[in-house]
Amino acid sequence: MYQTESWGSPYVPASGRNGVGSYAGGGDPFERIEQLAAESAVVIFSISSCCMCHAIKRLFCGMGVNPTVYELDQAGDPIAGKEMEMALMRLIGASSAAALPVVFVGGKLVGAMDRVMASHINGTLVPLLKDAGALWL
Amino acid sequence: LTCSVSFLVSVSEFSSAGGGDCALIGLEESESKHKRGFKQKRSRESCGMGSHRMGEMGLSDSGPTHHHHHHHLPYALLHGMNPSNTAFMSHPDPAFDFGELEEAIVLQGVKIRNDESRAGMLLFLSSPLLTLEMFPSWPMRFHHQQRGGSTDSGSGVNTISSKAEASAHHHHNNNMEPESPISRKAASSSSDHYHFHQMDQLAASNGGAGPSTSSHHQQQQNQSAEKPPNEKTLRRLAQNREAARKSRLRKKLQAYVQQLETSRIKLSQMEQELQRARQQGLFLSGCGGAGGNLSSAAAMFDMEYARWLEDDLRHMSELRTGLHAHLSDGDLRVTVDRYVSHYDEIFRLKGAAAKSDVFHLITGMWVTPAERCFLWMGGFRPSELIKMLISQLDPLTEQQVMGIYSLQHSSQQAEEALSQGLDQLHQSLVDTIAGGSVVDGMQQMAVALGKLANLEGFVRQADNLRQQTLHQLRRILTVRQAARCFLVIGEYYGRLRALSSLWASRPRDTLMGDENSSQTTTDLQMMQQQQQQSSQSHFASF
Repeated sequence: MYQTESWGSPYVPASGRNGVGSYAGGGDPFERIEQLAAESAVVIFSISSCCMCHAIKRLFCGMGVNPTVYELDQAGDPIAGKEMEMALMRLIGASSAAALPVVFVGGKLVGAMDRVMASHINGTLVPLLKDAGALWL
Repeated sequence: LTCSVSFLVSVSEFSSAGGGDCALIGLEESESKHKRGFKQKRSRESCGMGSHRMGEMGLSDSGPTHHHHHHHLPYALLHGMNPSNTAFMSHPDPAFDFGELEEAIVLQGVKIRNDESRAGMLLFLSSPLLTLEMFPSWPMRFHHQQRGGSTDSGSGVNTISSKAEASAHHHHNNNMEPESPISRKAASSSSDHYHFHQMDQLAASNGGAGPSTSSHHQQQQNQSAEKPPNEKTLRRLAQNREAARKSRLRKKLQAYVQQLETSRIKLSQMEQELQRARQQGLFLSGCGGAGGNLSSAAAMFDMEYARWLEDDLRHMSELRTGLHAHLSDGDLRVTVDRYVSHYDEIFRLKGAAAKSDVFHLITGMWVTPAERCFLWMGGFRPSELIKMLISQLDPLTEQQVMGIYSLQHSSQQAEEALSQGLDQLHQSLVDTIAGGSVVDGMQQMAVALGKLANLEGFVRQADNLRQQTLHQLRRILTVRQAARCFLVIGEYYGRLRALSSLWASRPRDTLMGDENSSQTTTDLQMMQQQQQQSSQSHFASF
C-alpha cells in the first residue's frame, strides 16, 4: 500500500536530520538556499504534497543517488519556507507559481524538472553527479 | 367517356390529398402526354400523392392524338355532381387548364345538339350553370365583373359563350399577364356580359317555363353559337390552351427561380455561420473522432495537428528526395534540422493545448486508436521509439551505439520517474474525493481541482522528454543517419495510423464480410505501395 507521506526510499529527509525547521530560520532566503545547496552533493527543494517533486525524487533514487530533500512546506517557519520558495522561483526564472522542485548538484543550480530531465537525456547529468560524488560507477 | 371519368376522379383524388399543385401537374402532363403515352412519367412526377393510381387508371389510352382529349368530359358536370364536393373545384388554381374544361363543355354541347335529345339540351343548359356555380371562391371578382360589365371577365364560361358568339374575336392571350387563365381568356366584355345574362335568363326560365320554349330558345342560340363552331372554335380553344400552357410554364419557372433564390440566400447564410463558427474554433475535424464533444481548444488543436501531419508528409518526402539525390551534408542538414523544428512545433502546440484541455491530450483523443492504445502520457514513449530505431539505424559506430543505448536508458529512467509522479497524483486525487462527509464536498472538489491542474505539468514534462530525446538523436547521428532515422520514425507512425484504419475496416464474421474485405484489400495495397516506396528509400541506403 503506497502512502503519500513516507517515501520509503533510501534517503533521509533533511527535516529528520537537522531538526524540524532549523534550516529555514531567519536571514536572506537566497543565502540560505546557497548554504543548504553547498552542504550536500544533491539537494532538492521540494513540497511534500507535490507530485512532480515526488517524480524528481524517484528519478534520482532510480539512478541510485541519495539526494538531500528540503520540504519547504514542512519548515518550522512557514513564512521562511515561503520566502525560500519565492527565491527559488526567482533563481530558476519561473514565470508561473510552479517553481518546485529545484535541484542543486555539487552546490550548483541545475534547475527545475524540465532542466533536470533535459540534462539527463543529453547525458550531462550523470557526469555532474559523478563529479559531485553522488554517483559511483 | 371512360377515360375522362377516370381522369376527373383521379384529379379529385389528387386534390383531396391536399395537393392542388400536384393536380396541376397531373392535368398539365395529361395534356402533353397523350401524344406520347405518359403513364410512366406521371408516376415519376408524383408529389407522392396519387400518381400511382393515376397511372393505374390507364389515362394513357385516352386517345391517339391530342385532338381527342376533348373527350375528357366533365363527367361530374354532366351528371350533376355537386361541385362543392369536388375539392379542386373549391380551390381553383389559376394555372388550372380551364381550356380543356371549356372545350369539353362546348363540345359536349355540340354533341348533345347533334343528338337532338332534350335531355341533352337540358344538360347543356344546366352545365353552364353548374360551371358558374363551380367556383365559389372566385366570388367577388367574378360576380362583380359580371354585374359591372368590366372588360375583364373572369369566367371561362363566358369565354365559351363569347367564343361561340363572336367568331371574329381575337384573343391576344399571349401578351397578357394573367392572374388566372380564365381572365386571360376573356373576350370582350360586352358580349360576355350579354351572354352571361342570357345564361341567367335561361337558367331562370329553365326551372319554370316549359322546356320546349327555353330549349327552343337555347337551340336557336346554340345553333347560332354552333354555326362556325368546329373550325374557329376549335382554333380559339387551341389558342387558349396554348396560352394557358405558356402561363403555367411561366409560373412554374417563376416558382423555380424563387426557390433558387431562397436556396441561394440560405446557402450564403450557412456559409456565414460556418465562418463564424470556425473563427470561434468550433470547427470539427474528422480525426480524433469525438465529433460534437470537442472543446474549442481541442478542436483547434486537432485542426493544427491535422495540418502538422500534412507538413510531416511533405518533410518526409523532402528527406527522401534529399537522400536519393545524394545532397551534400550541408544541404541535407538544413532539411534534417527543419524536420527537428517541425517536431518542436508540435510540442509547442501541445503545450498550448495542454493549458486549456489537458484531458484531450492525455486521453489521446487527438490520435488514431492504434496510437492511442500505446499512448504514454499524451504521446509516444521515447524509450520505445529508441528500441524501434536501434535495429533500423545500422550501421552505427561503437560510440554511436553506446550513445543510443545510454539515451534509451536515461529516457527509461525519466519515464519511470514521471510515471511514478503521475501515479502519486492519481492516488492523491483518489484520497481527496473518496470518502469525507457531504458537507466537505465543495472543499473536496476545490482541492481535487487543484490537484488535477498538475496534469498539465506532467504532459508538459513528457513532451519535454520526447523533444529532448529527438534532439539527442540528432546529436548522436550523422546528417545522413539522422535523415534516415527521421524517415523511419515518420513512416513508423504513418503505418501505425494506417493500422488504425485497417482495423476499423477489417472483415468481420458478421454480415459485413465482402465490402470490408475489399476495403481492407485496397488499404493493404496502398500500404504495400507505400512500403515499396519507402523500402527503396531507406532499406537500400542502409
